[in-house]
Amino acid sequence: MPFIYTASFTETTLVKKALESFYGIGKDVSIRILARHYIHPLAKVGALPSQKLLDLTAELTGMKIENDKRRELRDNIQRLRDMGTYRGRRHVMGLPVRGQNTRSQINTARRLNMVQRKG
Amino acid sequence: MQATRALLARSVWKGPNIVPLPIVKRKPGEPIVPIRTQARSATILPNFVGLKFEVHNGKIYHEITITEEMVGHKLGEFSPTRKRFTYKQSKNR
Repeated sequence: MPFIYTASFTETTLVKKALESFYGIGKDVSIRILARHYIHPLAKVGALPSQKLLDLTAELTGMKIENDKRRELRDNIQRLRDMGTYRGRRHVMGLPVRGQNTRSQINTARRLNMVQRKG
Repeated sequence: MQATRALLARSVWKGPNIVPLPIVKRKPGEPIVPIRTQARSATILPNFVGLKFEVHNGKIYHEITITEEMVGHKLGEFSPTRKRFTYKQSKNR
């Protein structure tokens, strides 16, 4: 089981998908990381030499991902709240922040908009 | 890939929305007089820090004191315009 950063993946997982499984890494960032380490976009985790895995782990350790990224998000919402802005207030109420209608279909806002936002 | 701007709403060439506000240099010892304005879309500039504003919300003027982290936001963001819905029982039915 190859091990990258904090998780182990099955050998058949694509390296790109493995990187994207971390919070804060999307398509663009993962493509850039692969290019920087000379890894083919369709390479699988099992095909990488162990040195490459260590390099990837070292790269991810220096980045702001997972809990650091989540904390940043929460801090941004908390800052809006402390300033007393309309956006901060909408986050507290769990309602849409950017002027959407609230008659129906505000499930995303109900799920996500809160001061202690999870993801 | 294109780097995303921090503010996606407004074109860069326009610059911030600068509204001529009656800002008077205050002499030390004088009381702070709030600046009464209806320009909710005015961007808060760095030289507003420490001033007091009374921002109209359509009905009344909300008093806000500008702090350093408010720079870059609009005056209207700090003056809520909506009232929470409360059910009022009618007497004559």
